[in-house]
Amino acid sequence: MKSRSEIHQPEATRPDETRKAGFFNALMDAAVDAIIIIDHQSRVLHFNPSAQRIFGYTEKEIVGQNVSVLMPESHRHKHDEYVNNYLDTGQAKIIGIGREEFGLRRNGDVFPMRLSVGETIRDDESFFVGIIHDLSEQRGTEDQLRFLEQKLFHADRLVTLGELTAGIAHEINQPLTAIAAYADAGRFLNSKNAALQAPASPESAAEHPNEPSINDIFERIGEQARRAGEVIERLRKLVRSEYSSKSAHDINTIIKNTLLLFDYDIKKTNIKLHYKPDHSLPLIFVDDIQIQQILVNLVKNGMDAIAESGRPDGIISIETEAADEELSIAVQDNGAGVTDLSLDRLFQPFYTSKPKGVGLGLSICKSIAVTHGGQLVHSRPSKGGARFTLRLPLASIG
Amino acid sequence: MSTERLVCVVDDDDAIRESLRVLLFTHGIACRCFASAAEFLDQGPQLAIHCLLLDIRMPGMDGLELFDRLRQQKAAYPIVFITGHGDIPLAVDAIKNGAHDFLTKPFRDGELIKTVQSAFDAFQRTRNEMERLEVLQDRAGSLTPREREVMKLMAQGLPNKGVADELNISPRTVEIHRAHVMEKMCADSLPALVRMVSQLGIDSPDQ
Repeated sequence: MKSRSEIHQPEATRPDETRKAGFFNALMDAAVDAIIIIDHQSRVLHFNPSAQRIFGYTEKEIVGQNVSVLMPESHRHKHDEYVNNYLDTGQAKIIGIGREEFGLRRNGDVFPMRLSVGETIRDDESFFVGIIHDLSEQRGTEDQLRFLEQKLFHADRLVTLGELTAGIAHEINQPLTAIAAYADAGRFLNSKNAALQAPASPESAAEHPNEPSINDIFERIGEQARRAGEVIERLRKLVRSEYSSKSAHDINTIIKNTLLLFDYDIKKTNIKLHYKPDHSLPLIFVDDIQIQQILVNLVKNGMDAIAESGRPDGIISIETEAADEELSIAVQDNGAGVTDLSLDRLFQPFYTSKPKGVGLGLSICKSIAVTHGGQLVHSRPSKGGARFTLRLPLASIG
Repeated sequence: MSTERLVCVVDDDDAIRESLRVLLFTHGIACRCFASAAEFLDQGPQLAIHCLLLDIRMPGMDGLELFDRLRQQKAAYPIVFITGHGDIPLAVDAIKNGAHDFLTKPFRDGELIKTVQSAFDAFQRTRNEMERLEVLQDRAGSLTPREREVMKLMAQGLPNKGVADELNISPRTVEIHRAHVMEKMCADSLPALVRMVSQLGIDSPDQ
């Protein structure tokens, strides 16, 4: 690096020029972002250490080259257009503004970056200074988060569909059962009455051979009710079999991924999240997305309960514990708590205490827990609020 | 069908309770309906129940919990679960634990009445067994302590000589006791007597 500063040492005659040059070099060396200076013909003049790190070229390799080698093929012509357009018309599309672009590393990787360009004129010649911030790491996290959210959303939809279907199947089966029972009763009552009356004249039956008897009609009513029941049962089975894939997971990772989704909401609401990962916990054999879904529901409920209580010092704590071939994850809040009225029906589908709720959240959580051979239970902490404990079996893995 | 037989229905759904009541009524079967397990626990014990139709899914105490409770109370009547398809595994478990049968909703034509009928039959069989046992107990109660001892040893397969040695009495006396035992117990053969002793549960040597 010393050698480079010697190379670019301007022929300074005054001491403050020398000082300035020193600062220039210091700036170039110390900048975390890539700094690239090009002339009006797009030739690279300066290429600082961060640029070398980000793009993977040494200064020697790149100085004197057209800056377009640092851009993906598809973007190169755009760059030339920008520069020519600016030089011809003075219209800046990027200069002084900055935008998100893609860069090309020496190894061929294309990466997202934030590019800002400034112009400087020295001795009637235009020079452009580009400052580049590598976005790939940040994007990586964002992409991962988006991916997680999408996966969760998908799982959520599938499970909601399953639970919805199961709920509807139950609700519709009830009246269907009543219909079938009434039809059964009607048919029996009619044959009893018919047997008591004078035997039906054979002529009258022959008159309308195609006319169904009351008994036939009752029978058909019953048949159709049972047919509707079968349709619903088939639908329920179809939806049930569509999801769930279990493998070994670290519960700490599942919890961490869950809390990641609440980053924004938590900051917005002032609620404190207490969670200490316990790395001594054994792995569990679960569908991680479904377990995450339970936790999302529980944390969300906790936040809602705190909002409902209106208290400014809301706390949601997540505790894990392994004991007796069982892993428990408790989500506790100091919010409004569950009323006595709601207690009985807490886990029932379509029951909700929230003004805009559907009443499927906890019911879904419970069925996920049960399909994992576990349990989801509610208890009241002594200091108020609510505590939901998810218990999962520590089944033998592999 | 006799109207003295009583079916109880526990189901939280009004329409199901009412339709079952109508269906049973048309077949001349009396029926009492309860909307919750708690309601049934409150009023059920005063009733002479011949069959209980029990829904699995109910708010509050569900059908399975009520079933456990009734088993602890040694309820004598058959219990039939009514269930949706989703809860069939639970109903199957309940049968393993002594429930009489289960019906999936919606019921097939005539299925409910047939199942209730079979529950009545099962109840009748149990009741007959119990009555028979009572008769046997009465007969056994009329035996003298010595005759009772002789009966036990006979049931263990000992010949007269063996019984005589065991009780330190003469074979001739054993023969007299033996004749009294057969007569009082109304047993026409030794195998019949052995079965009675076994039913009475007094066949183990230490009793």
